[in-house]
Amino acid sequence: MAQQGKQQSVMDRISRTQEMVYEMTVGEVMASKMVTVRPDHTMAEFRVLLRDNKISGTPVVQDGRLVGMISIEDLISALTDNALHALVGDRMKKKVECLYTDELLVHCIAKFSKLGYRRYPVLNRDNELVGIVTKSSIVEGLLRKLEIEYERSETKENSAPPRPTMRKFFEDVFADEISFTFKYNVVGQSLKHAGKAASELKNVLKNLGICPPLLRRIGVATYEAEINLASYTQGGEIRAQVEKWGVTVEAVDNGPGIPDVEKALQPGYSTAPDWVRELGFGAGMGLVNIQKCSDEMVLKSTVPDGTHLTMRFYYTT
Amino acid sequence: MNLNAMVEEFGLKVKAGSGSLNREVSGGYASDLLSDVLAHAAEGSVWVTLHIHQNIVAVASHKDLAGIILVQGRIPDAETVAKAEEEKIPLLVTELPAFELIGKLYKAGIRGTQGA
Amino acid sequence: MGTLDMNVREIVTLLDAEVITGGERMDKIDVQRCFSADLMSDVLARSHNNGILLTGLANIQAVRTADIADIKAVCIVRGKTPDPSAVELARQKSIPLFVTKKTMFEACGILYGKGLQPVGD
Repeated sequence: MAQQGKQQSVMDRISRTQEMVYEMTVGEVMASKMVTVRPDHTMAEFRVLLRDNKISGTPVVQDGRLVGMISIEDLISALTDNALHALVGDRMKKKVECLYTDELLVHCIAKFSKLGYRRYPVLNRDNELVGIVTKSSIVEGLLRKLEIEYERSETKENSAPPRPTMRKFFEDVFADEISFTFKYNVVGQSLKHAGKAASELKNVLKNLGICPPLLRRIGVATYEAEINLASYTQGGEIRAQVEKWGVTVEAVDNGPGIPDVEKALQPGYSTAPDWVRELGFGAGMGLVNIQKCSDEMVLKSTVPDGTHLTMRFYYTT
Repeated sequence: MNLNAMVEEFGLKVKAGSGSLNREVSGGYASDLLSDVLAHAAEGSVWVTLHIHQNIVAVASHKDLAGIILVQGRIPDAETVAKAEEEKIPLLVTELPAFELIGKLYKAGIRGTQGA
Repeated sequence: MGTLDMNVREIVTLLDAEVITGGERMDKIDVQRCFSADLMSDVLARSHNNGILLTGLANIQAVRTADIADIKAVCIVRGKTPDPSAVELARQKSIPLFVTKKTMFEACGILYGKGLQPVGD
């Protein structure tokens, strides 16, 4: 069991790492101590610099401004051209791909795989060179953060780090329309599996970065809706749609429908059979809870066709 | 402690059975599962629940309980009140959640009891 | 008066409870609140900041509810044996689960007396 617990914690940390790339900025993983060269240095001087510092490239800086990047590849081509006395300024790459300190790590990683450079200079928004990012600085940054969080969770169970909001995620993704849809089938006439959909959905939303209080509200409302499907219908479906503004959860069934919707919404009103009551539900609080937890609720029902419950949750209310 | 004293001390609202508040309370039982109460509540005890369905009166009467306390300000159904009057079962209401009310009753010396 | 932190292990001791799952985790979990109910909708209706659940329900829904409502630990009263599916889910969700032979009434009385707070609306 200890082994399993360990595996779980490794899995947790892997998914946590995936989340972190959406939370951390380039500024948090860059190395701010760096070696630079001036454009009026020679390639021979640059070679010594690489050797002494055990690095494979540096930014080229003049009067505090980034003017280019130069790497071991440029040195090799200078060696081939027998041009060790040439100036760095003449052999450097002038068209430079930069990153900014406040950019999200996810963009930075995308740049690495898209452009194939091994290091990127980092500028602040005043266009001053403040650091450099390499693959190893990213890994180190992530490890550092994981270590801090791990220590924190070890010492105090309750102080989990705040998760990024869903809104932030959508700000980083560009498309005319973005949504995620999740669908779960719910078995009717049995509470045995009821709650599974709510639990799975909550888990998915947690991984997407929805904040805990909203997560709880969505979880509770979905759970109650699922209990209703399981208690009163022949089965149905829970559908969740995650969008830029919030989350919609629908519970849809094929009957028998609710004869008096208004009455069904009254606290304490219940038509629950005894078997449901003995299992801890059916106190006539389900729809009341759903109403309380959701920002918007629409309940449409026709006898005997079925019921369509729509619940909406906004990221901020 | 009898129910009158309990009503007084904990500010309970009397919804039904005001004529039967003199009965001494032998202990307490808390449950929202009717079958559980039927099987385990002891005679003369006060039952703490948030059920408001009229079945609670039948259960209390069958087990000869001293009374029922509804928690969290739950409003009993009209049928439940009528039934309780008929069966002379005190129906009391507190605004407190079960945990807090029981905690206070316990401090006042009411113990959890179990019967058959 | 500040809110008191009570370790879940301490609660287990106070209630003379048998730990079913989560024994290795509970030492690290402190709670401040307690809610007692057998009706899960009632539990779901509140926010249980750092709370535990006392319930007479021994089925999987007690654990599902705890998971959904972010409850830290579940105590089953009156010595009921939890369903295997409930134990499995508690293990999966890392929610400590324990059983006391005491009645709900006794368990509430003892924990309230030791300073655990009720759960608000």
